[in-house]
Amino acid sequence: MDPAASRPAVVIDNGTGYTKMGFAGNVEPCFTVPTVVAVNESFLNQPRVSNKGNWLAQHSAGVMADLDFFIGDEALSRSRSSSTYNLSYPIHHGQVENWDTMERFWQQCIFNYLRCDPEDHYFLLTESPLTAPEHREYTGEIMFETFNVPGLYIAVQPVLALAAGYTTSKCEMTGVVVDVGDGATHVVPVADGYVIGSNIKSIPISGKDVTLFVQQLLRERGEHMPPEDSLEVARKVKEMYCYTCSDIVKEYNKYDKEPSRYIKHWTGIKPKTGASYSCDIGYERFLGPEIFFNPEIYSTDFATPLPAVIDKCIQSSPIDTRRALYKNIVLSGGSTMFKDFHRRLQRDLKKIVDARIVASDVRPEGTVKSQPVEVNVVSHPIQKFAVWFGGSVLASTPEFYAACHTKAEYEEYGASICRTNPVFKGMY
Amino acid sequence: MILLQSPSRFLLQILQTRVLSPDKGVDLDCYSVEFDDVRYHIQYLMKYPQFLLLSISLPAPPPETVFIGGLPVGALEAVKAAYGSVVQILDPPKDGFNLTMKLNLLKIPRDEDLRQALLVKIASVREVVLGAPLRLILKHLASKTVAPDVDALVALVHRPRESFFLVPQAEKVTVVFPMRFKDSIDTALATSFLQEIVEARRAAGLSNAPPCSWSPSPPLELKGAPSEALMANAGFVTFLIFPRHVEGRKLDKTVWNLSTFHAYVSYHVKCSEGFMHTRMRRRVESLIQALDRAKPEAEKSKKTLQGKSFKRLSLKESRNNSKS
Repeated sequence: MDPAASRPAVVIDNGTGYTKMGFAGNVEPCFTVPTVVAVNESFLNQPRVSNKGNWLAQHSAGVMADLDFFIGDEALSRSRSSSTYNLSYPIHHGQVENWDTMERFWQQCIFNYLRCDPEDHYFLLTESPLTAPEHREYTGEIMFETFNVPGLYIAVQPVLALAAGYTTSKCEMTGVVVDVGDGATHVVPVADGYVIGSNIKSIPISGKDVTLFVQQLLRERGEHMPPEDSLEVARKVKEMYCYTCSDIVKEYNKYDKEPSRYIKHWTGIKPKTGASYSCDIGYERFLGPEIFFNPEIYSTDFATPLPAVIDKCIQSSPIDTRRALYKNIVLSGGSTMFKDFHRRLQRDLKKIVDARIVASDVRPEGTVKSQPVEVNVVSHPIQKFAVWFGGSVLASTPEFYAACHTKAEYEEYGASICRTNPVFKGMY
Repeated sequence: MILLQSPSRFLLQILQTRVLSPDKGVDLDCYSVEFDDVRYHIQYLMKYPQFLLLSISLPAPPPETVFIGGLPVGALEAVKAAYGSVVQILDPPKDGFNLTMKLNLLKIPRDEDLRQALLVKIASVREVVLGAPLRLILKHLASKTVAPDVDALVALVHRPRESFFLVPQAEKVTVVFPMRFKDSIDTALATSFLQEIVEARRAAGLSNAPPCSWSPSPPLELKGAPSEALMANAGFVTFLIFPRHVEGRKLDKTVWNLSTFHAYVSYHVKCSEGFMHTRMRRRVESLIQALDRAKPEAEKSKKTLQGKSFKRLSLKESRNNSKS
């Protein structure tokens, strides 16, 4: 037997905001770090001089500089303390944009964080449902050529999110995955483990927009915070204090009646001067997540609320799957972690569905009463890294090793083996 | 990152969160695997909130190395010396592991710096256990003696079924690494990397570093070694360690760097491959740009909004096309 198959597989879920990585079989990822790389590119811009000695110095500077980079929280703190490092976010809107930094990011994940030898482990990576086949080929190329992995499986995030629910309840591979990440929001219908590729809906509002909206609200109210820190403060406020309310007007009244109970305070230290400052956190606590339900308060060009998008997505799916899809709406991604997010989503969706049933019932020719449709939004405590957990579950089954692309296959056929994923059967 | 760090990030992170916020009551049971097949298992049960079980399994030893009770020589003593009363060694260890330690969280010092130092030390358990025999020999070197009961050629495990060799003498210790790689590209890169190390050692600034040499055939020191240990596709690296390299605080670093030398080379081989790919990608991009620029103006096709491109046919051409 392949010795690598006896070791747990490495599962890395690269998100736009955070990367979750760890070993298969564990319940939690070993590390969750921001997907960011701080690179030292000072050597690139040096003038090219033909002087031999200078060339040598440049050469050695370049050689050192290719190892002189940091990822995750270290990258953020390095770039703040010195100006030699530039921050680079390799993933935008769920798609890898910069392969050089992505390769470096993986290198650090493997060698510095997980500290494993990539030749010893099978790898499970994830990708968003809209990834182009070329990107999948690129990923395969880097993994097999640079890291010499014995086997690789590139899984589709929503399918993993569904698989994560698999152990918490019963096996249910039909459902709609609502994946609200930091950079992308997708609504993906999955039937019996296969993605219905033509019905994937994505909306241009994601976790990052909540942060920006909170920042905008704070700024417009004139809270005193240093401009260079405001995005970071907004992100923290979003993660710590934001929640979903059931009715905005009632919520406003509550705040106005008892401000002391609802308004929170934030204190921080200015990075430049070291002086401390504080600001109030008020309505943005519930207005932030509200942009998913009433997008018109945030953007002018997109005004369809998330529940309506989900409904449209299910309505365009094959008719025999619709009831099952309504029954199992699974949340995944860090930006679904707001308190009561799933209740609000369920209520709004139920409203749309019930209205449709009532409308069809009043039609005169309809003598048959339609059955009520069960709407169920599933929420579970591991939502934040549901994709990673699904990967961990999947990679710890013995079938996983058979489903992987192996190094031998790669050497025989080339990167094209990574082009397709069986869950998109019939798409390509 | 140029050198691999001794404390395991994974262990350190768990220890820090457990010790700093003990009231966060969640059971914990997780596994981790490090390079060279060192495995960790950490377990924490809410029933016994003051204890944390840490098990470690070592790479499978080749026949020429000496293991006592599943551990390298002197490992138990080293663990006791390093951690004192905080750690209790369980016998027998957990199934499938070589050593199981019970950490008593109540005995961890309250003082910030002391606590951090101890946690880092616990996270470096690999260095303590696997490096124990090497440390013993190097300690004797520091006092310019040879341990009384030691062989002329000592084999120490550093990878599954692979070992490196030491020739302890009073004045110096010769360390020989047979280097093996699975992939042919890796082998070629590693060979030139090792030759480069030997070359770099000659530079003026490094005259105090241990002398090192590389040879494609087994050096004379390995005369008594079993023949399967002498097969190495990337040659043999020899370091001479003198007493000045193991004085005082340098000892820990030397032990760590020697016992993970193979992992260090393998890491840098991977980094160079990554660097080369970056360069190749950049080159291909610049060539494509050059090709694009070289296109004559007439051939340039019209881009549509969707990013698709097609050639516009003139009226005459299209008529010809339809005829044929």
